[in-house]
Amino acid sequence: MSIYTLIPLLPLAAAFVLAIFGRRLQGAGHRLVVPAVAISFFVSVAAFFDVSANGAREIELYRFLDVGGLTVDLGFYLDQLTVLVLLLVTGVGTIVQVYSSRYMIGDRRHSRFFGLTALFTAAMTMLVMSSNLLMTFIFWEVMGICSYLLISHYGERPSAASAATKVFLVNSVADLGLFVGVILTFRTFGTLNIPEILELAQAGGDIPAHIVTLLTLCLFSGAVGKSAQMPAHVWLPFAMEAPTPVSALIHAATMVNAGPFLLVRLSPVIVLSPTAMTVIATVGAATALFAALVSLTQTDIKRTLAYSTISQLGFMTMLCGVGAFVAAIFHLIAHGFFKAFMFLSTGNVLAATHRHFETTEKAPPRAMGSLFAGAFILSVVPPLVIFSGAYQHLWLSQSFAPASVVLWIVGLGTVFFTAMSIFDSISSVFNDGPPGAGDDKPRVVPSLLSPQHIFGIAVASIVLIGIMLSVWRWFVAFLSPAVGGTVSAATPGFSAWLLVPVAVAAAGWAVAYIRRNRPHAHGAAPWRKRLYVFLLNKGYFDEIYDVFIVRPTLGFANWAWRTIDQGIVDRLVVSLGSMSIGIARQLAHVDRLVDHIVVSVGSVSTGIARRLGYLDRAVDQRVVSVGTGSVRTARWLGKFVDTAGINKTVEGLGRGVEASGHAARRYEPRTLQHNLLVIVFWLIAALGFFYWIAR
Amino acid sequence: MSALIADHLLSWMIAVPFLGMVAIALVRERTAVLSATLATTLINAGFALYLWTNFDYVETGMQFVERVDWMPTFGIQYAVGIDGISLLLVLLTTFLPPLCVLGSWESITTRLKAFMMLILLVEGAMMVVFTALDAFLFFMLWEVTMIPMYFMIVLWGGPDRVAAGLKYVIYSLAGSLLLLIGILGLSLQAGTFDIAMLAEHAYSPQSQSWIFLALFLGFAIKLPMLPFHTWLPDAHSEAPTAGSVLLAGVLLKMGGYGFVRFCLPIFPEVAHNVAPVVLWVSVTGILYGGYMALAQNDLKRLVAYSSVSHMGFVTLGIFSFNNEGIEGAILQMVTHGLTTGAMFLIVGQLYDRTHSRSMADYGGLHQRMPRFVAILSLFAVASFGLPATSNFIGEFLILVGVSYENFIFVVLAMGGIVLGAAYMLWMLQRVALGQPRTEAARNLKDLDFREMLTVTPLAVAVIFVGVYPGPMLEAMDASVTYVVTQLASVP
Repeated sequence: MSIYTLIPLLPLAAAFVLAIFGRRLQGAGHRLVVPAVAISFFVSVAAFFDVSANGAREIELYRFLDVGGLTVDLGFYLDQLTVLVLLLVTGVGTIVQVYSSRYMIGDRRHSRFFGLTALFTAAMTMLVMSSNLLMTFIFWEVMGICSYLLISHYGERPSAASAATKVFLVNSVADLGLFVGVILTFRTFGTLNIPEILELAQAGGDIPAHIVTLLTLCLFSGAVGKSAQMPAHVWLPFAMEAPTPVSALIHAATMVNAGPFLLVRLSPVIVLSPTAMTVIATVGAATALFAALVSLTQTDIKRTLAYSTISQLGFMTMLCGVGAFVAAIFHLIAHGFFKAFMFLSTGNVLAATHRHFETTEKAPPRAMGSLFAGAFILSVVPPLVIFSGAYQHLWLSQSFAPASVVLWIVGLGTVFFTAMSIFDSISSVFNDGPPGAGDDKPRVVPSLLSPQHIFGIAVASIVLIGIMLSVWRWFVAFLSPAVGGTVSAATPGFSAWLLVPVAVAAAGWAVAYIRRNRPHAHGAAPWRKRLYVFLLNKGYFDEIYDVFIVRPTLGFANWAWRTIDQGIVDRLVVSLGSMSIGIARQLAHVDRLVDHIVVSVGSVSTGIARRLGYLDRAVDQRVVSVGTGSVRTARWLGKFVDTAGINKTVEGLGRGVEASGHAARRYEPRTLQHNLLVIVFWLIAALGFFYWIAR
Repeated sequence: MSALIADHLLSWMIAVPFLGMVAIALVRERTAVLSATLATTLINAGFALYLWTNFDYVETGMQFVERVDWMPTFGIQYAVGIDGISLLLVLLTTFLPPLCVLGSWESITTRLKAFMMLILLVEGAMMVVFTALDAFLFFMLWEVTMIPMYFMIVLWGGPDRVAAGLKYVIYSLAGSLLLLIGILGLSLQAGTFDIAMLAEHAYSPQSQSWIFLALFLGFAIKLPMLPFHTWLPDAHSEAPTAGSVLLAGVLLKMGGYGFVRFCLPIFPEVAHNVAPVVLWVSVTGILYGGYMALAQNDLKRLVAYSSVSHMGFVTLGIFSFNNEGIEGAILQMVTHGLTTGAMFLIVGQLYDRTHSRSMADYGGLHQRMPRFVAILSLFAVASFGLPATSNFIGEFLILVGVSYENFIFVVLAMGGIVLGAAYMLWMLQRVALGQPRTEAARNLKDLDFREMLTVTPLAVAVIFVGVYPGPMLEAMDASVTYVVTQLASVP
């Protein structure tokens, strides 16, 4: 046992205590969970330094299964990848827990919330640290059920109730693939131990190409579900039914990060199959672009953020698909911290705006201005953070040169739309009045063009680029032992390529800004007139943007959202569900029908029996009539033995059966005979069939 | 423990329930009857734990064997003993009755004494079935288990109890008739009723498939396998809570136990020949049961159909003829006993309050009954095999086992797991979440101490087996390996 087992165990223990003593600890859950997760974070920091000094290490826990050829040892595998993601998970987890200890004050299900978030965090750390694919799968699913329970936190709302079910079901369908993948991995490599699998994969071996492709695609299917890739991305917006801190947890620390993590964790396996890589890259690129477009049309700020997460995840997946695993993890970590901040500040902003509307205060509070500035900088920062490293790598990955150009374009498109949508959504919180207020005056002046802000942003950007470049170099060197494929550790100097994504992001922001301000341009404020004139000078751009980019973009995005996302993908899932229920109902009919057929066979045979009885009697009568012309003995025989004896016996039997049938019918609608007949029918059928087979 | 008990441990475990029946016949007061029954079942559970601790994991043969001549003319013996497979089922058999007694503490209002005696009778008879080394003894007590269950359904059951009881008896009788034919067919040729010796005899080739078939169908009806399953939803849903728990928890397992104890070791060749058909039927059963469960509005029926689905996994594992599959199937039987028993207990607790099993009458229970919903959710997710709960281990092993046969079974059977998630979560959504749909559902009281006591041991067991299945698997590993090597020796 190592001290590092504390990383998952502490949150787990907190969850356990809250599960049992939740009622007694009502309102005090955070006192337990916050220190637990915080200590986990500090232990993770220790693990980080340990691993960076001493390299990867394995910690064995206990033997889980030992059956036949299958041996599963639970344990932890700490390498460079693990410790980096652990820092993210526990770091963001701590921040979110601290935040929610304020946010959740007075909640009816306070203990439940903290218990589940602790379990959620614990499951994610277990997944990250797991040294066994089965263990990974177990905690993969445990996270799924945690998300289900957290989304149904406000379960009395029907929308939350159905959202929770939908989220879990979409995930569980995708997880089927992962489960198949786990079994296939075992059958292919003969082990589920991750370090061993990685070694075997790196050694190459004689694994058939189609098996590897199938295996990788199965594993990827799990990632598609958890990381909300197309076509399983529909669940992430539903997950917004959970309390806001949970969204921060899902989007930043846990859950969605599991997908890219899994791909990078198993990267030596994945690189064995170029076909699967292409699929991964394509799905990632399509998701990235699609989600970025959709996020433009959303008016709900949380939903915008959800789609932006999907888009970013698509980007990470695409990076995995082109072999830029280090960049994907870089993006994952950067995005995690950024998104957590976004969600938590959104929670604040929404709360602040709400208060503001209630007090009908005219002048915006100062806090909002600064929040806005912060959020705005953040909207520009992520592309910087993310693409400084990523693009360099993408461009350098030579093996996928033709594809990478396409992916490059897709990537830049994503940056553009993401920048646009984030700006849009944030400024709309401040710019528009309360719904139905009727005034088109901006509530808060987005004084973004003031010299200080421009200067501040420029400085921040330059500083960030510098930091990123130096961090990136260290990052590649640090992470490369843990990932597969040929990591080009080419020293990325300051290159012109870096400016492209930044410029695109800025362009996206500018477009959004212009679009937002144009309708107000005739407004009253003098600075607005100045702005109007200023914009008029660049008016052609404005027109061009509007006609050729903004409107088509919005139109297409709107169409895409309605038609593809809601109209096709969402409806497909729903209709699959309703179709299944329909089929189930039909099958139930068939079941009943089979019953009916058997019953009718029964009654037909009863009928035949009765007819035979008549026939018998008719024969009897003829015999009797023949007998009358015959000797006395014959008459006597006919009279007493035949008629009275046999006939009465038959009749009596018949009456007896009928009587018992009636008696049984009195007790139950579906009669005794029927049940007997059902059995006899099946038994005869089965006997014949099995005899035929067994022969 | 004194030598008198330790040397005859299995006989004591068989005798205790019957002695308990005599004891409660002598007491009159309600609480006295209940506590006497509870004490009896707890004593047996204690014995079972003692049995487990003294069990030798390495030994492949039978342990704790006791043999007494019973009808020497026919070579019939009273012979009992356990191996790892029996051990687990004995543990299950002794674990559930105390919970059944606790669960029916208040809900059984009429003829309480008779009901408690029936519970003990089932327990005693099941003990013999799972420990018998003599085929005649096995068959006799197999028959005995049917009777108390019939009376439980017919006397304490729901509105359609008579029909359900009849159906149950008719199916069971048909099954045991075939079983009798099979066992007679075996012993007439082999000249013995000893199960171990039956397996060694070489049967005439033309009779093999017939005898196998008779035994197979007898067990398949009990399990139940796909076309023979229609008795199960009726019987389960009409039976009183304790009856459903015993029926689903223990009685169904006789079928799976029979496959492993009789069909596989005695007729390995025939088993190999029919395996593809059985596997396909199993997979169909898994999916069919899942779809059926999805269409149900009645809580108990939903659980009953889910049992059909789960039993499909059991046959899927057994007929993949390898350690993973068979151990998974036996573990699945045990864990299904835990989760489905728990589901019936908790649904019964709801039924006690409102006397309705229809999901449409509930909704929004998590507002008034948070503890109930927590427990219900736990067992619902455990039931569809959420990882880290007990059923997952069994299903995983079964799927690994069957992957050696054909990978298509893995994929199809997983469809059953997703269906399981769908019907269980949909059930939770309709029962636990949202707003209450009836006045009755609005004024429910949460579980009290006794009710929590009833389900907590099951919850602990479900989680424990889920995260640490080692002891269970270790216990049966030697015995299953023995069965598998016997199977593998067939050309």
